[in-house]
Amino acid sequence: MNRITRLALGTVLLLLATGSLAQTAAGNDADSLRMAALEALITAPPERALPIVDKVLAGNHSAELKERALFILSQIESPESQARLLAFASDSQGELRTEAIRMIGIGGDETALASLGDIYRSGDAGVRDAVLEAYLIAGDADAVFDIATSTQDEEAFSNAVGMLGAMGAHTQLRELRNRAGLSDSLIEAYAISGDADSLRELAMNDSNPAMQLKAIEALGIVGGADVSQLLVDLYRRTTNDDVRDSALQGMLIAGHDAGVLELYRNAKDAAEKRRLLEYLVIMDSDAVWDLIDTALEGAQ
Amino acid sequence: MNDKTDDIIAAHRADIHSPPPATVQRWHDALDAAAAAEATRDVPRPRVLQPSSFFLGMAMAAALALGIAIGFFVADEDPVTELPLVAESPRPANAVPGALSRGLQVHFRDSRAQIMSLPEAQDRTMLVLRIIEQNRMFENAATSNDAPKLARVLRAFEPILLQLAADDLAPADAEALQAQLAFELNVMLTKLGAESSDDTQPHDLGNTT
Repeated sequence: MNRITRLALGTVLLLLATGSLAQTAAGNDADSLRMAALEALITAPPERALPIVDKVLAGNHSAELKERALFILSQIESPESQARLLAFASDSQGELRTEAIRMIGIGGDETALASLGDIYRSGDAGVRDAVLEAYLIAGDADAVFDIATSTQDEEAFSNAVGMLGAMGAHTQLRELRNRAGLSDSLIEAYAISGDADSLRELAMNDSNPAMQLKAIEALGIVGGADVSQLLVDLYRRTTNDDVRDSALQGMLIAGHDAGVLELYRNAKDAAEKRRLLEYLVIMDSDAVWDLIDTALEGAQ
Repeated sequence: MNDKTDDIIAAHRADIHSPPPATVQRWHDALDAAAAAEATRDVPRPRVLQPSSFFLGMAMAAALALGIAIGFFVADEDPVTELPLVAESPRPANAVPGALSRGLQVHFRDSRAQIMSLPEAQDRTMLVLRIIEQNRMFENAATSNDAPKLARVLRAFEPILLQLAADDLAPADAEALQAQLAFELNVMLTKLGAESSDDTQPHDLGNTT
């Protein structure tokens, strides 16, 4: 152990284990000093740091200090530290519990992560959110997929699907479509995850009109040159006004004013031209002032 | 036409513009040298965020991340025959590249400074969103450089940063989130600093699953 580590450990022991400073210093100063002492623990070997963190967690300290201690615990690479995090995630209450769950995500220990499944099932909404967040941190998309497929609760399903979207879990989201069927939340997740292929397939399929329209709009969230061209093509090919509206919405979301401008120039119907011009104004297109000028000249 | 020119033409045809590995190694070494020179200077950091230093930090972090990304993307390509101009220092297995470690230290330090001096409401939202953008860049770099532990810590910052970005956040809640982030960033800075300054040990900062 080098000199700095020994010094840090000595300081930590003085400040945390004896608690003597708390009796003599002002509350805030003592707290900030404890935080600094806790921070220094990160340089200590696990076998020295762990007992000190244990004392903090078991002691009569503020919730804030204990939450910081949990973060230190997440950075100690030992089975004991993971077991302690799991114990806190299972047995404690409130923010300390959700923080312990978050730390299990940071720790990434497979056994501890697997145990979060039981905690999710028995927990309240806050705990369930914390577990999903821990899986996001750990990058464990399969665990979130398991939650989505096993829950009967619509909101829980929607939250899990949304988390898969945030994780960019294309494979799991596509598999969910096969198992649970199509839903609004699934289409949103396709958009969030940037799965243009799935959305393109749904946008071309008119067997479920409501989902088709939602998929077309969601394509705008994904954006990109290919998607923008697809939205223009969808608008051109269809005679269905709803599909056209959704394609325009998609172009609005994607900021594809060049596509709307192209459609405007090719439109023959005055009502359609007016509608497309409205979109260009909303989109703050650079070309819109020339178009307005031309339209006014034409009207004279 | 020699083989090297053929390689260059072939790379352009395939729209591949990555430099050869030996060149990338030289860039990394240059970054190492610059960082070492910087470390020897004991310049106190300003306590108040200056916009110029923020953008300088962003630019430096981006340059380091670019170096890391280039290192990652060329790793799988066929080696180009070229005489090495510098002696290549072998990196121990499971070690985090020095450029990533240094880039992260810059990111953590800048993020901490920015978070501790955040402005009110809307300005705060914009600044925090920029930090999130930077954070994601380093998370991707950590993942690309086979440092999952670091990637997890970086990912863990994002939900807190997103809460902090909310413009309807109560001042007391904002203060609590700032304090939490400052502590966690400090811990990671201390950890990275301690491990990267210990030349006798491999820099196993983030590879353990």
